[in-house]
Amino acid sequence: MTSIEPDPPAQSRGSGGSGSVPLVAMRGIAKRFGSVTAVADADFDLHAGEIHALLGENGAGKTTLMNLLYGLERPDDGSIEIDGEPVQFRSAHDAIEAGIGMVHQHFQLVPRLTVAENVILGTGEGRRVRLPDLDEVAAAIEDLGERYGLSVSAASLVGDLSVGEQQRVEILRALYRGARILILDEPTATLSPVEIDHLIERLQGMAAAGTAIVMITHHLDEVMTAADRITVLRAGANVATVPADETSPLELARLMVGREVSMLSEVGEVEQAGATATSTSAGPAVLTIEHLSSASASGTSGEHARDFFDLSLEVRASEIVTIAGVEGNGQAELEAVLCGLGQPAAGRISLDQTDVTGATPRQLLDAGVGVIPSDRYRRGLIRGLSVAENLVYDRIDRAPYGRRLWIDPRAVASRGADLVGRFSIAVRSPSTDASTLSGGNAQKVVLARALGTDLRLLIAAQPTRGLDVGAIEFVWNQIRAQRDAGVAVLLITTDLNEVTALSDRCFVIYRGRLIETPLDREAIGMAMGGAGSRAEEAAVL
Amino acid sequence: MTTTVDAVDSPDRPDPGRTGTGRAAGWSSRLGSLGLSAAAIAAAFVLGGILLALAGANPFQAYADMLSGTFGSRFDFSLVLVETAPLLLIGLGLAVAFRARVWNIGAEGQLLMGALAGGAFAIYAPINSRAVMIPAACLVGAAAGGAWGWVVGFLRARWSVNEVISSLLLNYVALRTLEYTIRKPLRDPVGFQPVSETLPDPARLPDVPGLRVHIGLLIGLGLIPVVAYVMRRTPFGFHTRMMGLNRDATEAAGVRTGRLITAVMVVSGAFAGMAGILQVMGPESRLTGNISPGFGFTAIIVALVARMRPVGVLLAAMLIGALTLGGDVIQRTQQVPRVLTIVIQALFVLLILVADRLGRRSR
Repeated sequence: MTSIEPDPPAQSRGSGGSGSVPLVAMRGIAKRFGSVTAVADADFDLHAGEIHALLGENGAGKTTLMNLLYGLERPDDGSIEIDGEPVQFRSAHDAIEAGIGMVHQHFQLVPRLTVAENVILGTGEGRRVRLPDLDEVAAAIEDLGERYGLSVSAASLVGDLSVGEQQRVEILRALYRGARILILDEPTATLSPVEIDHLIERLQGMAAAGTAIVMITHHLDEVMTAADRITVLRAGANVATVPADETSPLELARLMVGREVSMLSEVGEVEQAGATATSTSAGPAVLTIEHLSSASASGTSGEHARDFFDLSLEVRASEIVTIAGVEGNGQAELEAVLCGLGQPAAGRISLDQTDVTGATPRQLLDAGVGVIPSDRYRRGLIRGLSVAENLVYDRIDRAPYGRRLWIDPRAVASRGADLVGRFSIAVRSPSTDASTLSGGNAQKVVLARALGTDLRLLIAAQPTRGLDVGAIEFVWNQIRAQRDAGVAVLLITTDLNEVTALSDRCFVIYRGRLIETPLDREAIGMAMGGAGSRAEEAAVL
Repeated sequence: MTTTVDAVDSPDRPDPGRTGTGRAAGWSSRLGSLGLSAAAIAAAFVLGGILLALAGANPFQAYADMLSGTFGSRFDFSLVLVETAPLLLIGLGLAVAFRARVWNIGAEGQLLMGALAGGAFAIYAPINSRAVMIPAACLVGAAAGGAWGWVVGFLRARWSVNEVISSLLLNYVALRTLEYTIRKPLRDPVGFQPVSETLPDPARLPDVPGLRVHIGLLIGLGLIPVVAYVMRRTPFGFHTRMMGLNRDATEAAGVRTGRLITAVMVVSGAFAGMAGILQVMGPESRLTGNISPGFGFTAIIVALVARMRPVGVLLAAMLIGALTLGGDVIQRTQQVPRVLTIVIQALFVLLILVADRLGRRSR
């Protein structure tokens, strides 16, 4: 079933270097979505028999680049060649025909169908009047599974399988369709450490048999063990392609965060010096988190990547403590628990030495906790209500806006006008529908509601995601102003610039665990990529 | 059903007309959405006319007959109002629920439970004063309907049971319970039919002066401004609208949405329950197995056509009440089956959904 091409000579691992015609050659690729450039002038080579890691921060363009190769998107610029022949895929169907398979981060399987049924789904085999003989398919799948060490029972329902097994089904599906190029988007994101080791072993086996594998990832350690070559993307362009045995996690982290930004990082350090002065003047602990876990099981397999484990930290008055991390490492769950929207499985949260574990959002609001939620349109804004109503909706039943049985629209309107002015929200009138707001102004509404009263603690999650430069500056200044006014600030972010611009102290969350890191871009970048143990090394260097 | 109903009020089409304090901005779009409903209704009548022609009637004559047979005389108009009264009450309650995006399909069952409990109360309570009996029976009916709605809200809040399914199925439980009751414990001892005895005199609703319609209509009319006020000017109404627009944000803002869902179900159940006891004390005068020809379901159409606005509910209830009676009229005059008018009612909803989509696309 797998068509292992005899002609590409690169059969041995690690030989995917110069000389031979690459299996895939992408040149000068560009892709824009509206005004956003996702990929700008990227080059990418792939040889038969290699594992090629695609590394980069969130939003560096890794997935977009591979979606272009897989025919899900069409490039605005540049050329793609397979076996030296230029190709233009109109859809994923064309890419599959050309021998490309992609396993997405979120599996595309039907839980209530069997493995065999899932494998033939969408192959065209089921499109005929007669279904293909499922026994034959099952035999072929088990044969493939045996050959690549990906054994899974073809008759079992996908819904009954573990995440790791479901991933095997995805890989088998690609192989069954004859993929000789396999793209894996964040394949380790939801796997336990044991499953990760197993996967990497299998991928190496497949590569040795001639399959070309692209692995999109943030994880430096995995890249170092699994990959033959590594291409680092930054801001949509490839900054380097290096053989794995000639590089180090430190160099990769440096490439990911960028050299020119290390000047920026110096700026950050200057600010940080100022910040450190502030943080020494930081007051007593406002937020104390002790041994907080979202799941009782810890450590071994069965551990789910979204959970967090045994987190402890303290945020004092007048300081900004940051939890940095690549998305999907448990910070969203932590945010929910800290905002009263989820219950921890274990541990304790205190505010000013008072236990607030399991407090409701209402109780936290009354205790002086302000929240800037990471998903502002889901949790921070109600489109269909006016701007003024959005500015007070969490206290509409409180004086002066309302009592139990009535609301005073004049109080709502005047508060709206006041906050619109104070936070310079660009809107025709406070009575305008909030759905007309731009992203920056929507975030200002969220900010104004949270910061418009005196706070003890501010929890700001991804406060500048998707905003333009001007709005980012505004948000940063507001957060700094809160710190300077004595508020304890917990910042949860994926953005390294934000970390260095705002933090007084910094933790990195990686696979649900916190690592305290120095305020140094490379050290933080490494820790975000899971090379935490080497962070101190980096700090020394 | 969920997807259908969802389309009417999906969150990606925010409607500033709902905003209490955002009035200035709201008017134009409110007119826009009224226009949309009006256009859909007009189109439904045109399509209905084609159906009438296919059925062998002269559509123009049929519509003229309908009009004169419903609004032509004070007597006919009274009949329309008798149909309107329960639809208005139930529709108001459903408007509240739908505004919260709580899809109560169980108004029929809530109505029946209100009728049953209120009816039993009226038969057995030794009250001789009409001024005491009628309000007391109304309260009992509303409480029973509210309790029936509470079950749905509780299941949804506690175990996330889909309210469409639970409220729908509880309709059948309510109907069978009523049927059992009038065959056994409440059966009229001297009659042959499975019906209860006639309600005592103090429990009979007087007519609205000058019209042949019971005063239940006035209760419905009186509740229109109350519902409008509650939805616009009270924290409960505000939270209800918030939840309908964005449940996650409402929860994050500290509103206990589980309780709110339950409260909304109780309110809409109470409206239906009150409509039920009013039918018993008014037109029916006793408990029977067919107190309701599906008012609880028709009121869903009323609330949707009214786009969940209280005044709109009155207009929609009258329209659909008139259409129902009009069906009887053209069955007589044009010899076409009266169910054609039910097709027209269905077309209202379908076309409003279509118009809603088109309106959204043009923005």
